[in-house]
Amino acid sequence: MSTYYAGLFADVGILLLGALSVYIILATGQLSLGNAGFMGVGAYLASYLTVELHWPVTPALIAAAVAAAAIGVIVGFPALRLKGIYLAMATLGFGEMVRSFFLVFEPTGGSGGYRGMPHVSLGYIWLWAGGILVLVLVLERSRLWLEMRAIHDDETAAGLIGLNTTATKIGAFGFGAAVAAICGGLFAHHYVYIEPGNFGFERSIDFVLAVILGGSTVGAGALIGALLLVLLPEWLRFLVDWRLAAFGVLLILVLLTRRQGILDRALIARLTFRRRAAA
Amino acid sequence: MIGLRMPIASGLFAAATLLVGLHGAQAQNQITIGAVVPSSGPFAEWGRANTVTLKMLEKQVNDAGGINGAKLKLVILDDGAKPAQAANALRKLAGDDKVLAVAGPLTSSACEVTFPVANQMEVVTTSQASSKPGVAKANRPWAFRNTIDEGILAKTSVPYFKKTFGVKSVAVIYDAKDAVSTSIATKIMPAVFKADGIAVSNENDLISFNTGDLDVSAQVTKLKSLNPDGVVIGADYSQAITVIREMKRQGLVKPVIGGTPLISSAILKAAPEIPVIAPATFYATMKGPKAEKFVAELWPLLKKESGLPPEIEPSMYDANIYEIVSMYIDAVKKTGITGKPDQLAAERVKLRDYMAKLKGYEGLGGSIHFSEDGDAIKSFFIVQGEKGAWSTKVTACSTEGGC
Amino acid sequence: MLLQQLVNGLTLGAVYTLIALSFSLVMGILSILNLAIGELFMLGGYLGFALIAAHVPLPIALVAGMAGAALIGIVIEKIAYQPLRDAPLITPMLSTLGFSIILQNVVTNVWGSDPLQLPPELFDTRLPLGPISVGMMQLVVIAVAVVLVASVAFLLQKTSAGRALRAVAENRDVARLLGVSAGRVTMLAFAISGALAGAAGVLISLHYAAITPYIGVDTGLKAIAVMVIGGTTRVWGALLAGPLIGIAEVLTIAYGGSQARDLVVYGLMILILLLRPQGLLGGARTDIGQRV
Repeated sequence: MSTYYAGLFADVGILLLGALSVYIILATGQLSLGNAGFMGVGAYLASYLTVELHWPVTPALIAAAVAAAAIGVIVGFPALRLKGIYLAMATLGFGEMVRSFFLVFEPTGGSGGYRGMPHVSLGYIWLWAGGILVLVLVLERSRLWLEMRAIHDDETAAGLIGLNTTATKIGAFGFGAAVAAICGGLFAHHYVYIEPGNFGFERSIDFVLAVILGGSTVGAGALIGALLLVLLPEWLRFLVDWRLAAFGVLLILVLLTRRQGILDRALIARLTFRRRAAA
Repeated sequence: MIGLRMPIASGLFAAATLLVGLHGAQAQNQITIGAVVPSSGPFAEWGRANTVTLKMLEKQVNDAGGINGAKLKLVILDDGAKPAQAANALRKLAGDDKVLAVAGPLTSSACEVTFPVANQMEVVTTSQASSKPGVAKANRPWAFRNTIDEGILAKTSVPYFKKTFGVKSVAVIYDAKDAVSTSIATKIMPAVFKADGIAVSNENDLISFNTGDLDVSAQVTKLKSLNPDGVVIGADYSQAITVIREMKRQGLVKPVIGGTPLISSAILKAAPEIPVIAPATFYATMKGPKAEKFVAELWPLLKKESGLPPEIEPSMYDANIYEIVSMYIDAVKKTGITGKPDQLAAERVKLRDYMAKLKGYEGLGGSIHFSEDGDAIKSFFIVQGEKGAWSTKVTACSTEGGC
Repeated sequence: MLLQQLVNGLTLGAVYTLIALSFSLVMGILSILNLAIGELFMLGGYLGFALIAAHVPLPIALVAGMAGAALIGIVIEKIAYQPLRDAPLITPMLSTLGFSIILQNVVTNVWGSDPLQLPPELFDTRLPLGPISVGMMQLVVIAVAVVLVASVAFLLQKTSAGRALRAVAENRDVARLLGVSAGRVTMLAFAISGALAGAAGVLISLHYAAITPYIGVDTGLKAIAVMVIGGTTRVWGALLAGPLIGIAEVLTIAYGGSQARDLVVYGLMILILLLRPQGLLGGARTDIGQRV
């Protein structure tokens, strides 16, 4: 594999984690437009630990994930009061606040950015991205996931049949925040430089986009979405000045033709059935 | 429209080379050089003008018979001013396209993530515009910048500002979202002003706004209430235009000083009666045979380009990227680089050493070499923009003892 | 200085009001965020600019800017919303994002990425008013904002089209049973929403006299905060929240906190969401927030 594609696949791995962080929260029917905020917390915290305190990368990532999970739970509680698009807008506000915070927070360089992190390899990024993807796929087969989907489909009914909707929703926020933080930590140690502008609304939207394009009902959809979002702009380079407009057109076309995302259960079933038939 | 034209042109070119190959002609040696420019996004105009500049240079070199008989091929990639895309573009150029060296990227944010890749892949990468302090220094030995550190420039621009306008106090306003602007306005300028005996009225409460703000009226009202003799604007020209227009609207007609990001033809139109002082290494109306020839050749091509507005002028960054690639070509000529694929790694080292040891390279505005930090040591001008035009007021060199 | 700052805040607030109302019309009726509104605002600005530079009188430029943005608003409704109206709310939101990317790219290719500047002879004149001075355009911006909000309120309350809009906002299915054409109503909502964003664009491009293709991004996000604070169920909410946020911003800058400005705005928005999810002026509404 060329270094170029290695670089792109590192981006795919990082975006996959961001997308999964949205996917986990979305599974309980909550849309977060502020996961770049959690990503920023993870990126800055993990970097601070490796640069200032000389921690190895892995414990720094885990510490960042735990801290972000705590913040996720704290954000999750008030979020219980809000539903749907109102929750989305509150998380959007949270993300913008985190970004504004790091812009003025001098210990990590403010707008000047932060550097000095050790570089991590593509393999290391995918160890995390692949590991968490498998974890989510396993989780999808669990009873807990059924409960999450039940809350997604009808929260009132889920509560009536005795499911602890509060714990599940807050847990999802915490887990999602932790995954976003790992995404941020890996981002920081891949690019070895971070600045607050990396963690704005555009990034949060990219995560959501990857989930929705790839397929929001199956975990593997996030992978397809991440691949598409990273590779498409590169493949459209031949359009020169119209590259981004073409990307916008394709985005709309995909949403119009496959509103459930590229990957869904029906497609997976068909693909696996065919493979079995062929064998 | 050029979106359609270019692939066709490059397709024809590819077909032509293929035909030459089929005819059994000895495959001509080729020197491949890469460039990363922001042809989409908020700096699209600069990236597109850079592209025109580079294509012009490519044609000039090949029309004149190439470099030591080898053809020059430029591979130009768009990064959309996005750091991640810039880093990946460099990976593509250095890894897939096997370029000898790379010019770009333009923004400091992109350089911050691209220069580490340059070191990792061991390929010389020289930015045409980044002036955030210390970015090349943190990424030695493969990163260079054909720009001067803002800290050095301020030491010449401030005394001129003080002398010309009799300034006793200044007030600072800056774009807090932008790293270069922040370092110019919060660190570099206040220190130089104080050393020169000029009071910074709002030293403990520097006024800021954010990139993309459409309204800076509150900031300017506050600025006006400080009643300064001059205003320091830490912002790139497009944000600075918003500030200068608001200053004019509120009747704060006081001279403005800033860093190289202010240089552009657009800022001259913001408020012609407000003088703007900034350092530059090049501007479209500057004097000198090399610069004038460059402008005369480039300007008509820029005007012809469909993706650019009609009032476009050759910019400092066009000049810088022209110089960067010209330096690379000079290195090929002088060090006998062949462009043979099996010698790529060794020839990249040759080029790096050439850049590091460069002495007295004649650029568009005088001689150029690089400091140990990887930043250019070249002459620069303190220019004053007034009534719609720039004019040189001071000529200096970015190191003690002349260039 | 305080008085002058209040005038600044009111002008900015008037712009926020118009864009917030633009978001709120689509949001209140269809519960989706039209992420292209920032770009409709930007487009309105460029149209206004082009016309004023061609010496078209301001009222005509304003109407043309509104019409242009409304037209694109209808296109967005037809392509990005209508086919996806039954999909989860995120899907149409992202397809409007697609339009925002396209519009930015097209405007960059047509007008360039550098700021477009109005020639000085078309510049604003200022009226001294005691210790402060007010620009003619500032007065125009504020006046037009008030007139437009009043017209939208009138349209919603007193006309049959408005009643249909409110009926669909209340309950789409019931409205259809009562014979309201939901399709026409959503188209109307997108058109008015586009017109408001376009009006805001024309006004600011003339007031600030400089515009770039990316001007809608941050202003759009701020306007979402304003919409939330004002509430989406009452038109007048935006007229209260716009100046409120405008003045809050201006005062944070005036009294030493220019760095904290965004923290204040988004903090305020989250606070309102938690304490009064229906917004400052919103009435009680039980079904706040549909499923995503």
